[in-house]
Amino acid sequence: MNRNDSFREFVATHQQSLIRTAYLLTGDAHLAEDLLQSVLAKLVGRWPKVARLEHPEAYARKALLNQHISWRRRRTASELPSAAPPEHAYWTEDRAVVRIVMRQALMRLAPRQRAVIILRFYEDRTERETADLLGCSLGTVKSQAHHALARLRELAPELAPKFEELDQLAIEEARR
Amino acid sequence: MTWLRGVLADIADDSPHVDLADEAIRIYERRRRTGAALIAAATVAVIVLGATATVRLLPGGSEKDQVSTPGRVENLPAKGVGPLSHAYRTFCNPITGKAPGDCRVGAWRVVTTAGQTYHLDQALPAINYHDGVSGIGDSQVAISADGGKIAYYAPKAGTFQVRDLASGQLTTAPVKVPRAWLGSIMSLLLSADGRFLAFTKKPALDDPAMLIDMREGMVRPLPNGWNPVGLTADGDTMTMVDYSPKSRLQTMTRLWKTATAGNSRTVNLPKNYRFSPLAPGGTMIAAMENRVTQSDSCVPAPLVQMDAKTGRILRKVEVRGLPMNTHNISLRTWLSPTEVTALAEPNQFCRTGKPSVPDGPNPRPDPPYETVTSYALNVQTGQARKLPATYRVQELFGLVLPGAPGAL
Repeated sequence: MNRNDSFREFVATHQQSLIRTAYLLTGDAHLAEDLLQSVLAKLVGRWPKVARLEHPEAYARKALLNQHISWRRRRTASELPSAAPPEHAYWTEDRAVVRIVMRQALMRLAPRQRAVIILRFYEDRTERETADLLGCSLGTVKSQAHHALARLRELAPELAPKFEELDQLAIEEARR
Repeated sequence: MTWLRGVLADIADDSPHVDLADEAIRIYERRRRTGAALIAAATVAVIVLGATATVRLLPGGSEKDQVSTPGRVENLPAKGVGPLSHAYRTFCNPITGKAPGDCRVGAWRVVTTAGQTYHLDQALPAINYHDGVSGIGDSQVAISADGGKIAYYAPKAGTFQVRDLASGQLTTAPVKVPRAWLGSIMSLLLSADGRFLAFTKKPALDDPAMLIDMREGMVRPLPNGWNPVGLTADGDTMTMVDYSPKSRLQTMTRLWKTATAGNSRTVNLPKNYRFSPLAPGGTMIAAMENRVTQSDSCVPAPLVQMDAKTGRILRKVEVRGLPMNTHNISLRTWLSPTEVTALAEPNQFCRTGKPSVPDGPNPRPDPPYETVTSYALNVQTGQARKLPATYRVQELFGLVLPGAPGAL
């Protein structure tokens, strides 16, 4: 197996998981593909070293997060004529409504806050893992998560009851 | 944290399916070659000049390597696009104010629910004039109720196409439709699943309007001059309205079960109306009485619910909370069985009537871009509540929301 074969195998195994995170980070399919593509293109050159790491996937994920955060100045919404989509049609299920509202709120978070939310609550990473992936301190992760959740609550008042459930769970978690 | 994870996982489900390994290798190899070539060139330059030079080595890259440039509107990608919030048309010579950046005359652009805007270059640009001057050359688009598919006239194909925005799957109508058939005001309705596309236009002319089964490649003729406002999921029953010169309803049934165009029932209405799309449930339509006069084009009017087949008035309510004295109102997508979207477009000529169009050299100025506000109008109570969505467009005909269109 040559180096490219090994890289192809790695990508085949992990790209769908990485593109999901990229999509959550960017909120746009095209940008998510661009983001992951640029990360993978850089990864090819370093593959002989990366492949020897215990968790090459974690390296790729970290690169994805860093790349996303470094895009923050370039990635501005070119046009936002609508604050929200027209309210959802009658056949839209509640779940879909929540998804749309949450996606819009998520996209209004700062890139690092969004990354913290995704790592903590989508990927179920611990605070320590999140800090390692983002290259910041544990305290930064805690404060970013706190501020991000508060901001989400502001941006998506429709989801207030859901956030209350979240608060309860967090309290119970802290008690344990 | 389960609900938040569930929601995030739901959002992530919209991510595209990708196969990026070979493309990543290709990009890397190209960058490496370009970098090596630059190093070689720089070395030669240093030797020849015998001088110390600072050389910037920049990897090359195709457009695909680059991130979207902020402020620029990209063309619609072939696939991987999220659901649409709306589409709108741009004319670039507004009489006041500025046209949007990267404006293309008569062209459509689409906006996703995530706020990303793309040029819909695949669609024919409209060439019909604004400012009270009508002419042949309209081009419309239709968006499926879930925002995931869009239908448009594709000049390259010489007919209509339906595009699945996520998968990129493109379906072309089985018959050619010459551009001359598109009329000066055309209307498109795309079924929720993107299978059926109805096309009608005004003026009626002799060219056929049609209902197209994009999946099976079949076509049924429709009467011209009507606006399709509702279609059953099986494509077999269609509701259409006519708003001018008089208001009429027509229901066509058995569209695909008979050799010809099926059965139809037409009802003339005693008053003039602006119609909503067919309501959820398929039996009712909401309509606003049209009391416009030559001297006043913004007259408050009651809202009625009528039986879509018989035209019988089921309920009539006064409207509250809509700026009917100062705005044109257009009824659009249903938000629930009792709430319909009402779009309000400012009309500066409400009390003075529309000004006559001066004869002058071309190009005539286009209408200014104005903010259209959306409301949820309760058809049971007549109470309207403002929605967060606003749209910066030139006219209501140039703004398309997901789902069946209304009429006027």
